[in-house]
Amino acid sequence: MKYLFLVITFFCFSFFDAQAQTKLPELDKSPMDMSYYPDRYPVLKIQDKITEPLIARVIYSRPQKNGRVIFGELLEYGKVWRLGANEATEIEFYTDVKINDIKVKKGRYTMYCIPNIEKWTIIINKETDTWGSFKYDEKNDLLRVDIPLQNQTEITEAFVMAFEKTATGANLVIAWDNIKLNLPIAF
Amino acid sequence: MLLNKRLLIGLLVSAGLFNACHEQDKKSTVPAETKTMRIPVSVNDSVLLSIDKSPMDMSYFPDDYPKQKMITPNMANPVARVIYSRPQMNGRIIFADSTVTQNVIQHYGEEWRLGANEATEIEFFKPVTINNKQLATGRYIIYCIPNPGKWKIIFNTNLYSWGLHLDKTKDLADIDLPVMKNNAEIEYFTMLFQGSAHGCNLVMAWGDMKVILPITVN
Repeated sequence: MKYLFLVITFFCFSFFDAQAQTKLPELDKSPMDMSYYPDRYPVLKIQDKITEPLIARVIYSRPQKNGRVIFGELLEYGKVWRLGANEATEIEFYTDVKINDIKVKKGRYTMYCIPNIEKWTIIINKETDTWGSFKYDEKNDLLRVDIPLQNQTEITEAFVMAFEKTATGANLVIAWDNIKLNLPIAF
Repeated sequence: MLLNKRLLIGLLVSAGLFNACHEQDKKSTVPAETKTMRIPVSVNDSVLLSIDKSPMDMSYFPDDYPKQKMITPNMANPVARVIYSRPQMNGRIIFADSTVTQNVIQHYGEEWRLGANEATEIEFFKPVTINNKQLATGRYIIYCIPNPGKWKIIFNTNLYSWGLHLDKTKDLADIDLPVMKNNAEIEYFTMLFQGSAHGCNLVMAWGDMKVILPITVN
């Protein structure tokens, strides 16, 4: 009996020990990615092809559709979403810009979104380094802007964000599933 | 039940490794490093729309800062953050000398970006000291020159490049660190912070190697 107890204790300890050592983070299910404006800035840099200064960078995680119904089910209409997965999405401006005619000073911000059937409300918030939208606080909003949705025929499996040049600056293109929208940024 | 689950995971992992090795045989003539050099193309390109082979990740100090912040009222600012990509062993040798040309990821003595894709970026939200050199609050890239038993870790200010676009004149601080043994093999390159008496350590682990970089927070 005493032996059995010892053996069980030993197994318990070795189990906890193994647990303590394997604390290293696993690979994320929704991996992180980042996009720059100018588009592919780090690649242009090593090719000595930079023609415009660095303006913006977005860091986000990429959930996948995986056969699920995304809009209205996985993402409830009218509820704040972190615009990605894991950590809330971070956008950084390396210069002052304007969104919806509101000045956005150089610096790091967190992006959220409220999805609806025909438009999304994009939110730029001043509280950085957060996880999810659990502690989202409207008080820290810098701006909100409503963006109409476009339908796309081709399905985007992994949520994606990237910048595209426009006449007045750039659009942050956001796409997932059958939906796409452009957030205009002026600089 | 628990043991069964672990056994199952073990079997799945070894099956995965077997597959990975198998796949490797077919294309082992391709220099390994070029395989992780997927260069993204324009916005509408399908390459950009797919998930990276070596996905990006980030670690904070204090560890798990964004989650901690959710449950801790009035939490102080973070101290450090690293953004890196996570290449996988995939049955390959991580480091070897330059005579080995097949199935190797990186040669000893050559600069390595400490990850994959974009150069690894480290940001300090407070001034720190590395190997007696003061580094101001701000953002740096960090890279490595691996050698058997020893890694040289270098901090540099040439930010936002794909791979290493080395400008040695922008090196700020470096430190030689001994390579320690891990008990378990780590398939994915991993970086994370741990607290220490002087601030924090940046722990870097891959395969059976582990390297600890001490950071003094001023």
